[in-house]
Amino acid sequence: MSEDTVAATFDVYRYDPAHDTAPRYQRYTLNVSPHTPVLTALLRIRAEVDPSLTLRYSCRSAICGSCAMQINSKSRLACETHIGPEMARHGRVVVEPMRNQPVLRDLVVDQASFWRQYDLIEPHLKLDPAHPMPEGKATAMTPEQVDGFKETPRCIACAACYSACPAVEADAEFPGPMALAKLYRFVVDPRDQAHQDRLVRIQPNGLWLCLRCHLCTEACPKDVRPSERIRDLKEMAIAVQGATEHGSRHAVGFKDNIVDRGLLNEMRLVRQTYGTVGMLGQLGQGLKVWRKKPEILHKPRRIEGSEELEKIYDALDPAPKEGP
Amino acid sequence: MLRHEVVVVGAGLAGQRAALAAVDAGREVAIVTKLHPLRSHSGAAQGGINAAVGAEDSVDTHIYDTVKGSDYIGDQDAIEFFCKEAGPTVVEMEHFGTIFSRAPDGSLARRAFGGAGFPRTIYAADRTGLALLQGLWERLGTEQFTLYQEWDVTNVVVRDGRVQGVVALDRRRGEFEAIAAKAVVIATGPAGRIYGRTTNAHSCTGDGIAAAYEAGAFLKDMEFVQFHPTALLESGILITEGARGEGGYLRNASGDRFMSKYAPHVLELASRDVVSRAIVTEVQEGHGFTGPYGQYVHLELMHLGKEKVESRLQEICDYCRHFAGIDPVTEPIPVYPAQHYMMGGVGTNSRGETNVPGLYSAGEAACVSIHGANRLGGNSLLETLVFGKQAGIAAAAYAAGSPAPDLRADDLDAATALFRAWSSRSDGEDPSTLRTEMQQTMDRYVGIYRNEADLLEGLKRIRALKQRFEKVRVVDPSRVFNLNLIDAIETGHMLELAEVIVVGAYARTESRGAHSRTDYPKRDDAHWMRHTLAKKTAEGPNLTYAPVGYTRWEPKERVY
Repeated sequence: MSEDTVAATFDVYRYDPAHDTAPRYQRYTLNVSPHTPVLTALLRIRAEVDPSLTLRYSCRSAICGSCAMQINSKSRLACETHIGPEMARHGRVVVEPMRNQPVLRDLVVDQASFWRQYDLIEPHLKLDPAHPMPEGKATAMTPEQVDGFKETPRCIACAACYSACPAVEADAEFPGPMALAKLYRFVVDPRDQAHQDRLVRIQPNGLWLCLRCHLCTEACPKDVRPSERIRDLKEMAIAVQGATEHGSRHAVGFKDNIVDRGLLNEMRLVRQTYGTVGMLGQLGQGLKVWRKKPEILHKPRRIEGSEELEKIYDALDPAPKEGP
Repeated sequence: MLRHEVVVVGAGLAGQRAALAAVDAGREVAIVTKLHPLRSHSGAAQGGINAAVGAEDSVDTHIYDTVKGSDYIGDQDAIEFFCKEAGPTVVEMEHFGTIFSRAPDGSLARRAFGGAGFPRTIYAADRTGLALLQGLWERLGTEQFTLYQEWDVTNVVVRDGRVQGVVALDRRRGEFEAIAAKAVVIATGPAGRIYGRTTNAHSCTGDGIAAAYEAGAFLKDMEFVQFHPTALLESGILITEGARGEGGYLRNASGDRFMSKYAPHVLELASRDVVSRAIVTEVQEGHGFTGPYGQYVHLELMHLGKEKVESRLQEICDYCRHFAGIDPVTEPIPVYPAQHYMMGGVGTNSRGETNVPGLYSAGEAACVSIHGANRLGGNSLLETLVFGKQAGIAAAAYAAGSPAPDLRADDLDAATALFRAWSSRSDGEDPSTLRTEMQQTMDRYVGIYRNEADLLEGLKRIRALKQRFEKVRVVDPSRVFNLNLIDAIETGHMLELAEVIVVGAYARTESRGAHSRTDYPKRDDAHWMRHTLAKKTAEGPNLTYAPVGYTRWEPKERVY
């Protein structure tokens, strides 16, 4: 802890639909100690300089999930982002609303789509009437089964992952990292009796739209690691019903290519992903690739030593991952 | 005008549980909340929820510990009901989907907590509130009800001697709306932000308590304010009692485990009021550490080992690292008490009924009273669920037998004229400044140790702030998410409640539980084994007193 203060510059996104025709940035300068959280600084600005600055906040201890925003272009909780490191790295603190959600005012966004995706995964235990909960006592669950939830119970629904996610930006139908991490939490819950149904339903409903960029895991303030849980869901979905979607067929085909020949054969991968007839739909894209890379039409070959790759795959994944 | 049968104000654990009970009873229900339900302050509860489910434990011991913890001013009949409901309540929450920590045999894991005869605090790591909040919200999500999210209830409307509905501000549109209701349940949590140094969220501003008080409800035992012994120094962020339950030590600057002087039998696991006073006394006697953010003592977890600290106190590790810049695995945590909990609140019985027909309350907003003068750790989460359910059942039954509410357009106009006046002033008081001065006043004059001179000075200052508040001014001209207006509404609510706390504390010339008068250091059962009831009048709170519910536990001196 230190008493030294720094003069910190805040460039804060301001937009009030009733009075502004376009967003603007307002600069504030405050003397603060380097370990002051951005939230504390914003509340000081509200109290001392400008009470019209609008944001969501509540617990100030990273447990309520209210104050996620863009701080120097990263989706963060304002309450646990310290000013010192931001000033050192960027020379100022740029504060903007979260992405992928429309701005209502200043730093407050409309979270309707985020909550809708959460509701769509049906976030509640589904029970089979034939297998009710034990009467009058808690379900038995071992510590290892609790570990099976990984870090998903820590999720505070702050939407930092949703804000950071390029797949959400590209496709409004993508459930987003939080909803999928929540789905994982129910798929591994020993009390839930709809595991297979949940996996079968998510496979054609956005699971494979994840771009595997891991920006959600980087953004998550509670280390929930949504991208890793999405990967787990993909493996479990394939284990339950095989590869039924372009995304899952692409993933399985990719692996088959490598195991068989040690080399990616794009023609084969496209056929595996889309089917022989479906390939026709990819003709335009194929022509573009062919112009730049004519060797895609060469006869497939097996590279020397590819059997070593097979051994690596066997060692990594001796048997297909069990579904729940 | 919006109409519902039962309106629940607040969507933390108590509000949600009340709503679920009212839906189960077949009523049409709306929840009005200023936060998304998953952002409620219930989610910040860390340590656990008490239920005497262990083979060596008993419901009777839980009752006794709670009665003793209350310093014999908790209602014993209500406490008996409360402790008997504990086991079934925890099981129900497990069945709803809550993910609890487990013992190796697959049963619910339990840890020791202060003031408890056995380890009976069931937990989910150190985020038990979050786990319960998720479990309950996800269960409630399967039911039909209306959610008014980010709406602030400003008034409870009473006419012809019964509740007719509420007035609320929709933050997003900036419009006030009247919501007619046959029954209203106040479950808005505490008003911890009356104090500057508090573990409570910024949203804990006592809105529902103040609205009920304004509407004629009695506020009970408001002078009993709990200070949690271990909060981080600068931020006031809570470090769970579970940290001591897992074996943490408190040490002063001389390296002594000073609790041996104050609670020779249970040391760090004495009741919260005892430990908080011990820390303050150590510091006052010159045994504290001194740093840029004031004086403090050390909470040590280092001897517990990295594995235990990081698995059972995972969030605590994050809090220490992010908010204090220290690693509890290798370094002591600098701590000092902070306001944490209000034992008082809207006066109810164990069915959640207030003195106003149609008005119910539960959770920290309410006072049954089961906590009396001092709440035990692990009893507050349980209270939200046990009495949330009871309030929901009672509100539903009342609504089923009630005529249509008589809420009028005039009610909305009457309530909002005041707020319009705040925005039309060209000069006036800034709500943030008033709030800060109120917090400084309460920290300084109405803290852990109290005396007549301080309380009189505190009262004088709070009343001066109330006068200045008459001229409060809202400068933000926008309707959308006008936090400036909300600051003013909340500050007005808190000033009313601050006055009730100080008046009650001044009148209670004894020391009991969390209420410590240095000028009256002894408990005085002959005069003061009774509840304070405060009713709003134009001159301020009018105090009357009510007897304590008593069954079989004789008052004894409290030794830990």
